Formats: sequence, C-alpha cells, structure tokens
Amino acid sequence: MTSTKKLLVSPVLWLLGPALVYLILFAIFPLFYSLRLSFTQLVSATGEGSWVGFGNYVSLFADPLFWNAAVNSFWFVSISVSLELVLGVALALFFNLGLRGSAVVRGILVLPMLITPIVVGVMWRALLNADWGLISWLIAQFGIDPPNWFSSTTHSFVALVAVEVWQWTPFVFIIVFARLQTLPQDVFEAVQVDGASAFQTFRYITLPLLKATIIFAAVFRAVDAFRSFDLIYGLTFGGPARATTTLSFFAFQNGFQFQNYGYSAAISYVMLIILAVGTVILFRYVNLRVEQDQ
Amino acid sequence: MNQFVRTVVAYATLFMLGVLGLAPFAYMLLLSTKRRIEIVAQVPPELSFNFETIVKNYNEVLFSLGMASFILNSLIVVGLSTLIALLLATPAAYAFSRLRFRSNHGLANWILSLRFMPPIAIAVPLFLMMRYGGIEDSYLGLVLPYVSFSLPVIIWILIGFFDEVPSEIDDAALIDGCSRFGVLWRVLLPLVRPGLATASLFSAIFIWNEFLLALYVIDSHELQTIALGAATLVSAQRPIDWHIAAGVGVTTVVPILVFSVFVQKYLVRGLTAGAVK
Repeated sequence: MTSTKKLLVSPVLWLLGPALVYLILFAIFPLFYSLRLSFTQLVSATGEGSWVGFGNYVSLFADPLFWNAAVNSFWFVSISVSLELVLGVALALFFNLGLRGSAVVRGILVLPMLITPIVVGVMWRALLNADWGLISWLIAQFGIDPPNWFSSTTHSFVALVAVEVWQWTPFVFIIVFARLQTLPQDVFEAVQVDGASAFQTFRYITLPLLKATIIFAAVFRAVDAFRSFDLIYGLTFGGPARATTTLSFFAFQNGFQFQNYGYSAAISYVMLIILAVGTVILFRYVNLRVEQDQ
Repeated sequence: MNQFVRTVVAYATLFMLGVLGLAPFAYMLLLSTKRRIEIVAQVPPELSFNFETIVKNYNEVLFSLGMASFILNSLIVVGLSTLIALLLATPAAYAFSRLRFRSNHGLANWILSLRFMPPIAIAVPLFLMMRYGGIEDSYLGLVLPYVSFSLPVIIWILIGFFDEVPSEIDDAALIDGCSRFGVLWRVLLPLVRPGLATASLFSAIFIWNEFLLALYVIDSHELQTIALGAATLVSAQRPIDWHIAAGVGVTTVVPILVFSVFVQKYLVRGLTAGAVK
C-alpha cells in the first residue's frame, strides 16, 4: 500500500479527522483572522480594512487606557487568585474532617461557579446596594456606614474581587478536597505518633503533597480570571472611571461599543501572548496526561 | 470537654457555611416576590409572600419581557450544540485514548490549550464569518461556534473516561471480528455513559451561560438566548427594576440548579478535565 492509501484507511483519520477539521475551521481560522485584523484599521463590520502594519500595536503601547487596563488585570488576577487559593485550601481542610452533613454543604458551596456570571453580577449589585442591599444593612448593624460600593473606584474594585472570589473559591476547594481524599492516611498517622503539631503536619506533610494540585488550580484560575468578561459586564461595566476595566473588558469596549475591530484584535492578541506563556507554564509544571504524583 | 467544644465549633462553622452559601440565592428569590416599593421599604425584606405579586412579577418576567422564549431559544441552541459536539468528540477522544500514532500527546495538548483562549479574541472573526455565511442572527450562527467552544473540554473529559476502560475489552471485541467503529459504538459507549453525561452537562452549562458571542451574533429580540436576554434586561449600564431583575436572575439560574444535582458526582472530573486523575 502506498502511504496515501494507508492514511485513507487509517482509523486515526476517520476518528479524529472530523473534530480536527471542525476546530481548524471554527477556532484556528478565526484566530488567524483576528491576527490579520490586528494589523488593519477596521472600524465597521464590513470585512475589509486598510493595512496599518504594527500601527495598532504602536498606538496600543502608547495608550494610557491600555496600561490602565493591564494594571487592573494584573491586580484583579493576582489578588483574586491568592485569596481563592488560601480560602479554597482552608475549606478543603475543613471538609476533610468528614463532618456529618458536609456533603450537602459542599453541594451548596459549589453552586456559584455553575451559575451565569451575568446573574452573579446582578445578584451582588442587589446585595451590595447602598440603600437597601442585605450586606449594606448588615454592615449598618455594626454601626458602620456602608460604603456606596459602585460609585467609588476603590470600593468597586474591592467588590469585583470579592465577587470573583465568592464565585471561584469553590473551584480550588473542590479539587484540593478531591486530592486530600486520595492522600495515604498512614503518613498522617505516623507523624501524629511522632508528636507533630497540627500546624507542623500541615506545613511539612500536607502542603508539599498538595503542591502540584495547588499550582494546577492557581494556573487554571489565573487564566480564567484573566479572560473573565461577563462578570465585569454584569457587575460594574468596567467603571467607575475605568477602575474595573480589565484587558478583556477593554478589548470588548473597543470592539463592540466603539466598533474599532482592529484595535480590539490587537488587545486580544496581547492577551493571547500572555495566555500562551501561562499555558506553557501549566504544561511544564503540571504533567497533564502522564501519571501525576505517582 | 475540649473535644466536645471543638466538635460544636466545627458543626457551627459547617452550618454557617451552608447558610452563607444559600443566602445570596435566597435573597434573590425573596426579592423576586416583592413589589417595587417593598424592595426599598422593607430592609431587610420580610419573609412574607403575596401570591398575587409573585404571579404578576413572574408573568411579566416570563411573558411580557420574553424570558420564556429566551429559555426555549437556549434549550434549542444548547441541545443542538451539545449533540453535534458529542458526535465529533467521542470518536476523537476514543482515538486519543486507544490508538498509537505520532503526535498523539502533542495534538491532545494542543486541543486542550484551546480551552484557554479568551473568547474575546475570536468573537469578532466568528461574527464576521457567520455574517459572510449569511447565518448571523440565527440559531445556526450560534450553534456552529458553540460546538467548537465545547469540543476541547468534551474531548478531554471523555479521554479520561475512555482511559479507565481496560483496552483488553477492545482487543477481545476486535478479535471477535468487530470493526474499530463497532467496538466504539457497541462495546465502549455503554461503558462510558457517565462520561457522556458529564461531558454533556458541562457543555450545556457552559453554553447556557455564554453571553459574549451571542451579543455579537444575535440581533433580533426574539432570538436572544437566556444569558443575552438576561444581560439586556439587567445591564449594569442603566437603572433597573429590582423585583424584575431578581425574577430574571431566578429564571436564569433555576435550570442550572436542577442540572447541578446531576453534576455533583462528576464535578471534579468535569472541572479539571485533562489534569487530576
């Protein structure tokens, strides 16, 4: 058989081909289209634009609004993910005690990450409403004046981080918890016999065993928080005064609101490069398909 | 005694976590049963219900504002996209799990990395493509891109489930004269049913929640999907009627909460597709 014939009857081709062709058409092609767009000045959705080379990228790096969005993205991702890791690991350790009824509570706690980000935004705008929101009322019960969350730049950023943490801590919690459940119990029994304190056990035994899982969770969360767009749309719409405009929201505004498609594509390509670096790190530190931790 | 105090504290914490977890949802549900004036007047809202107000609010949300038809649109789009994605992904996942070929790992990782792509980077090109094909503002214009959004995650969830089935089963069936396709269809599919369910649920929830692409592709009010419809009704840009906004939130979330009951068991596998095993 010639090699072409061999290829044509190969089960690999018939099993894998359709999915690959589909992904090339509807994921890779748009990605290249986007790259092309980023070198053009296209201001309406007619399709063709004028070629401007690196023009969009040059104006991008000179644009203070871009740097504002980049800085916001940086703080948004790093603060949210750190908090999610700490709280998620704490929750996992707590649920690992195996209290009765904890499965039900676990089921409740994972709900936030399944629900529509747009709705999460509305729900929290109600909870935080300065005049009648439940949280503002609770704060007032302590004799503190509740802040007007969405009209101050600092407060709205804090609110955005808090809601992101509320929605996605369960992700860290649930995968760290799953890992904890598979850890060999004899190690823990041995160090208890040796008289290790709870903190020592955590610091020197549990934490090192969880390292790979925590790194994995951190990278996954960082990538998703970086891409996050719907939540910002639903909660703060990037404001006030662009205080919560991250790169992804900035790209959206330029593309959808201002119809500056070339500029928007350039922003998303900068994001893609940052993400590619993130993905490479993921593949490097977390061995995806080969036996992990074995 | 010390042990007793610790147990009490632990259970109190567990109870508090449960209450805190449910509170935002309960609050939204409660707001959706109030009249506009009551939201401002009752702080915190009272646990009293007026049946007429509830009917009136939900009647407005579901029918006057069209959430019922948005739900229908979303069900159609979710169903079609997930079905097509499963048809494409199942053989692919099977090939990755079973067949030896050059660049198996490289290809599989490449597919997984598509999961990390920011939707904003391909929303505009996809919209322009759909427009070029004359299917913008239609179900198909959403279904085609959604299939490609779901494929990477579905493939990876299924690879995990296929990997768990010992390959001796395939070998036995192959020796008995079954074709590769026959092995997949008749022998393996029944064995990976939980995988198919997990993959469909995750794909369905993802598409149900998707909003950015729908914003570009859908123009007509009557074709809006649930997330898009909800977003237009409760956008952060303008003042809103909170009792209505809460009702919109409830109707968007209830189907997901129903789904979540089924998803719990395989949550970890769905969320970490391709990693923790």
